[in-house]
This record gives sequence, structure tokens and C-alpha cells, in this order.
Amino acid sequence: MDMLTEFGAARGQAKWSLRAAFRLTGAQRDEAKWGLLFLSPWLIGFALFYFAPMIVSFLFSLYDFVLTAPDEARFVGLENWRRMLAEDPNTWEALFVTFKFALISLPIGMVSAFLLAVLLNSKHLLGRNVLRTLFYAPTMVPLIAAILIWSRVLNPQTGWLNQMIALTGIDAVGMDGLRWLDDPNLIYVAYTFIGLWGIGNAILINLASLQGVPTEMYEAASIDGAGWLRQLWSITVPMVTPVIFYNLVLSVVGLLQYFIVPYVLNGGNGYPEGTTNFYMIYFYKQAFPFQNMGYGATLAWFMFIIGLGITIFLFWSGRFWVYYAGESK
Amino acid sequence: MRSTKQITLCALLLLVLAVGLAQAQDRVRVRWYVGLGAGTDAPLVAAQEEIVADFNASQDSIELVLEIVDNAQAYDVLSTQIAAGNAPDIVGPMGIRGRASFPGAWLDLTSLIEANDYDLSDFDPALIDFYRVEGEGQLGIPFAVFPSFLMYNIDLFDEGGIPYPPSAYGEMYTDWEGNEHEWNIDTLSEVAKLLSVDINGNDASMDEFDTGNIVQFGYGSQFTDVRGRATLFGSANFVDAEGNAVIPDVWREAEHWYHNAMWEDYFMPNAVYSGSEIMGGGSANWFDTGNMGMITIHLWFLGWGTANLDAAWDFAPVPSHNGVTTAKLHADTFGVMNSSDNPEAAFEVLTYLLGERAADLTSLYGGMPARLSLQGDFIERTVAAQSEAYPNIDWANLNWDAVLAGLQYPDNPNHEEGMPSFLEASARYGEYGQLVDNNGDEDVDAALDALRDDLQAIFDADM
Repeated sequence: MDMLTEFGAARGQAKWSLRAAFRLTGAQRDEAKWGLLFLSPWLIGFALFYFAPMIVSFLFSLYDFVLTAPDEARFVGLENWRRMLAEDPNTWEALFVTFKFALISLPIGMVSAFLLAVLLNSKHLLGRNVLRTLFYAPTMVPLIAAILIWSRVLNPQTGWLNQMIALTGIDAVGMDGLRWLDDPNLIYVAYTFIGLWGIGNAILINLASLQGVPTEMYEAASIDGAGWLRQLWSITVPMVTPVIFYNLVLSVVGLLQYFIVPYVLNGGNGYPEGTTNFYMIYFYKQAFPFQNMGYGATLAWFMFIIGLGITIFLFWSGRFWVYYAGESK
Repeated sequence: MRSTKQITLCALLLLVLAVGLAQAQDRVRVRWYVGLGAGTDAPLVAAQEEIVADFNASQDSIELVLEIVDNAQAYDVLSTQIAAGNAPDIVGPMGIRGRASFPGAWLDLTSLIEANDYDLSDFDPALIDFYRVEGEGQLGIPFAVFPSFLMYNIDLFDEGGIPYPPSAYGEMYTDWEGNEHEWNIDTLSEVAKLLSVDINGNDASMDEFDTGNIVQFGYGSQFTDVRGRATLFGSANFVDAEGNAVIPDVWREAEHWYHNAMWEDYFMPNAVYSGSEIMGGGSANWFDTGNMGMITIHLWFLGWGTANLDAAWDFAPVPSHNGVTTAKLHADTFGVMNSSDNPEAAFEVLTYLLGERAADLTSLYGGMPARLSLQGDFIERTVAAQSEAYPNIDWANLNWDAVLAGLQYPDNPNHEEGMPSFLEASARYGEYGQLVDNNGDEDVDAALDALRDDLQAIFDADM
């Protein structure tokens, strides 16, 4: 059983363990005490650096709190929440932008990572190890540096991408060419390109999962006359659904927190035409540059609630499409 | 026996540490925050640390601690420190923008100036008033000014056979045919067109000029925002005396000129070219690429701004518009935060930085000292300092008179002057700038009208 399968099996046993915890023998209690002791650095860290700030940030959302004037903070109850939900169109616009980008970027990113992993797992691929290293290598480049490089690669006048496209005869270069970072119709494609640069981790996780699929299944399927596509759809995909699920959850959470690329490329000003005014950009602008920490905290909590809702939905939906080998249905 | 010795040694070490700590704690700690303006470049860090070390060695009542934060993060970091009750004591150098970004956070220095009988006679009274903000008090003591001027690339002028700009304000420009012109925006535009060259060597005044393959530009306005660049046409602000959002006529005219310069006449890099390798890529320094004929810039650009430029260059006057010359001014100071636990100690450090070390610090940051007594040999000190740091440039033979004369034409109101909801308003006009600089077919008037309406909404929300 691989780690994820074990995790799935453990998930099923968890409810029993909880009940059993109240019926521990002395030795078991001793063991539990040591377990908690070893866990305590993480628990203390979580309480101090995550849980407590979360509670404080919720309290902030109930205050008119200007960052540079903490002494003048004024309790306003749910006023910030009312403003966010009922009065501020920017909240909904930023949410719309975030979901629109996610709908484009998420499938492309996930499918690319999976297909590249399938390719890199193929025994027919020459230079497999070299290619695996090369596909993973961009992940080692600091994200900020990568974004700055991409901004130059995507420059309409001198960027490599347009220069290469121009070789095909398409008039891509220059002010009337493909303006990846200026055209509202191209901007999400450009940002997705930049996102693909960092899918090395997702490829690696997919690859590890693909290598865990029992080869006997493929052998049996071959004997039964199943072709490559059939094997992929009926064996590979179901067997790696735990990993697909894992990548999906991480990708969704990552996209809801999408910030660094638009911030580095245009300072978070929403250019072009507000298409890059992502939710986290809007939150950041309110909380820090505009110094409205009370309202910023409200925005952050709203995103937390949305993220939590989507994650719960994904976990609920997982029971219908995620296959854990060790789990009994 | 051996372990006894070890224990004794440890105890002694602890004692020494404790005594050291106690001594350090006797000193009042004053934190000096650098980041809202100059001072974050690597070569400046060591020099500032040296000044801090000198101060700490000079007395035993204050421990000065230097905190340098990169400019890109400095505003957010300072906001967060203030919110966390962990604000520094002194912030600077910073311009008007830095000060205006933290309204209400600065200490009124009036009582400290009076209590310490601090001598202000060495400053221009007008400059002292410059830091007196209605309702907030005297928020700073003048430190340095950074006049603006035109810089031009001599090699590019020579290559095109184009006569240089005039060397003094009021002087006429003599063109390539010997005709004299007032050195104004129109003349600058004509010169800039000749300096803008495509890949085939055609200039922007020719019909054959290939706008899709420009390799050299005539004029640029960089390291400033919309208010800064529009000030070339005259002083104004986006808010009138009644607090209403306005687009001053002179700035509307300026914005049309900039848009045409980028998208019609192509003598100034638009957003496509400014991000290209021709201009150094991304947020690189245009003038330093050697592909830029003229720029308007401030004194703080000297040194680092031309560090890689393999061409001769010089200073010239800023062109006039409708007979009025406006050479926008940056004026820096240091502020004491009103949350400081030790304002007296902070003021003592402030007077050290603005007094004893003013000459060193202004040389370091490339500013002209606000102290009248230090202005006399400012050029000599600057030439000496820059010659040491950047020996590839003949600093002594530059037209420094054009730099100093720019001080006679400051912008009033200043282009960095405050506005209601300053940070949101700044972000909004920044969006406007990006929109028009990126789109040749953008209707500038409509964009400016939309800007005015949005600014009004931001101002109204502030009330």
C-alpha cells in the first residue's frame, strides 16, 4: 500500500480510534502522552502562529481598523461584512475574476501535469531520466525570478514567444501583434503559461502514483485486447484518482489564493481592464496599501469560508470518484 | 576539578554577558527606518551603518539601530509595524509621498524644536514651511532637495548631427539649420523625433520611419507617476481647494502630448517598448541602455543611473511650456513617528543626522543639502563622491549650473502633494497611466474623465 492508500484506509478507521481513545490501558495512555509530547511543537506552533492570528483576524473584521492608527480602531459589528456583501461591487468582481481564471487554468494545469507524468512514465521514452529532471527543474527557480523572466519572454516586441510564433508566418510581433499581458482575451492564457512553468511538483506526484499501479493489470488488459487509451481510461486514471484528488484540492486552494503573478507583473493594479484584479490582490490592496485592515480581514475571512466550502464539497464528491485500494465500500 | 573550571568559566562568561546586556539596556534604543526613499541600494548600506556606528560611539545614552527595508516592501512593512505597536522612531530619508502615505503617524516637532532651542536659521524659511502641514504641525526639518533637469546622451546627438540642448535656462535652442527656437515642449518634441531611430536608420520625422522596429527613442519620462510627468507642463493637482477631484487643463494637455509621443509620433517608449529589451526589459533604466536620447530626472539618479552607460552625457534645462518652466522638485526629510516611546532621544538622533552628518548623508543620497551653509561646496563634494564611486564619468566637466538653476523653477503645488484617501487615489491614477500607456487607441479625454469621476468617489468616501 502506498502512502495515499494508507491514508485512505486510515481515514476509515479514524472514527473507531476516537472512540477507543477513551478506553485506553495504562500503557496506551503512556504511549499517547508521548505521542502528544512529540506532536506538541507543531500543536503549539499551530496554536500560536495560525489559530490565534485567525481568531484575531476575525475580531479585526468587526472593527474599523486603519493599519496605521491602531489606537483609533472602532467596533462596528458586522458593518464590514455588510459592506463587503451588499455594497462593494469590487468583492464580487474580484471573485468572478478568480473563478474565471480558475476555470481556465485548473483543467489545463491538471491535465498537463497528468499527461506529462504519463509521458515520463512511458518505457518507450528515450532519455526518460533526463527529461524527468528537465521537467522538474523549473520548480527549482524562485517564482519571482521566473515571473520576471516570463514577462520578458512574453514581451510583444522582443519576447521569444512572439518571435517564435512569427516564424510560422503569423504577424505576432509588435504593437499590433500578440500582446499577452495587455490583451484581456489573452491574459489568462499568458498567466496559465506562467503557471505551467511550476507544475514539476504535480508531475512528480502523478509520476510516483503511476509507478504504483500494478503492472499485472496492464498485462491482463493487454491480453483482453485493451489498447493504450482504454488502459489509460479504465486502469490508470481510476488507480491514480487519490493523487488526482490531492492535486485538485491543492490546485483549487492555490488558485483561490492566486496573488504573486499579477502582483509581480503589474503591481496588482488589475491591468488590463480589471482582468487581473484577483480576490487576493483586492484583499491585499485593502489590507496593506490602503491600510483598511478591518475590511481586509473581512475579505480574508470570506475567502476562507468560500475555500472551506469548496474543499468540503470536493471531499464529499470524492466518495463518488476517488478510489482507495485499501478502503472497503 | 576540570568540570569545576568549566563551570567557573561558564559563570564568568554569563556574568560578562549579563553586564554587557545591562549596559546595552541602559541606553535608550532608537530605531532608524530606511526604505521610503533613498538608502536601500547596496553601496549605501555600509555607509549608513558607519554613520550609526559613529553615533553610537559618540555618546553612551542612545543606541541607534538601523533598519533597512527594500523600497518595494517598505510601505507595507512600516504599516504593519505601526499596527503591531512596533513602529520605528525615525523614518527617512523620505519625500512628500512617503510622508503623505502615513497621515497622522508623524510627530509634530514644534515642541521639541522649541524645547531644544534648535537653530533653524540655516534653512530657507520657505523650505521649513514646506514641512508644516495644516492640522498636523511641523512634520520635518529640511534635509535635502533633489532638483530635476534634463539629461541627454551626447553620443546620440553627435551621431545624428543634432545640436545639443541649450546649457542654461532662458537660452535659445539653435537647430541644425542655424535657426533659433525657444527651448520649450515643441522644440523638445522636434529634437526627440530626430533622435528616435528605427532599425533602418530612419528617424521619427521621416515618412519611412518603421514604428514597429524602433531601436532608439528621443525622450523618456521614467521613475515617476502621472502627476510627476504631467508637471512638465505645469504645477497642479488632482484635487482643488474645495476638495473636488479635477483634471487640470494643463495636465490634460500634458497627457495628450505623452500619449501622442508614445503612439502617434513614437519618440517616447510606450508600454510595449518600455518592457522590451531595447529599453532594458521590464522596469530597467532606459537612459542607461544608451538607446534613449533625453530624459527628465532628479538628482538622486546620479551615479547608479548611468553606471552602465557607455556614452558621454550632460545636463540641460527642462523645457518650458507656454512660457512657464516647471522643474519639479523632490524634497526629503526625516520624520519622527508619533508612537515613539523616546521622542527626545529620537530628536537627538534627528539633529545629528540633519546637522553633523548632513553633508555626508546628502552626498550619500545624492541630494543637495537643505542647509544653506552646506550648499556652497555641494558641487565639489558631489563631484568628489561620484568620481570615487563611478570613475568612468568625467563628473567635474558636467553642466552643474543647469542642475542648480532648476531650483528656481520648483513645482507648487508639488507633484507629490497629498490628496484625500491618498493611497487609493494614487492607485487609481496609476491604473489610468497604465491604461493609456498600453493602448494607442485609448481615448485620453474619456480616460481622464473616468479618472476624475473615480477620484471624486474616492474623495467622497473619505469624508
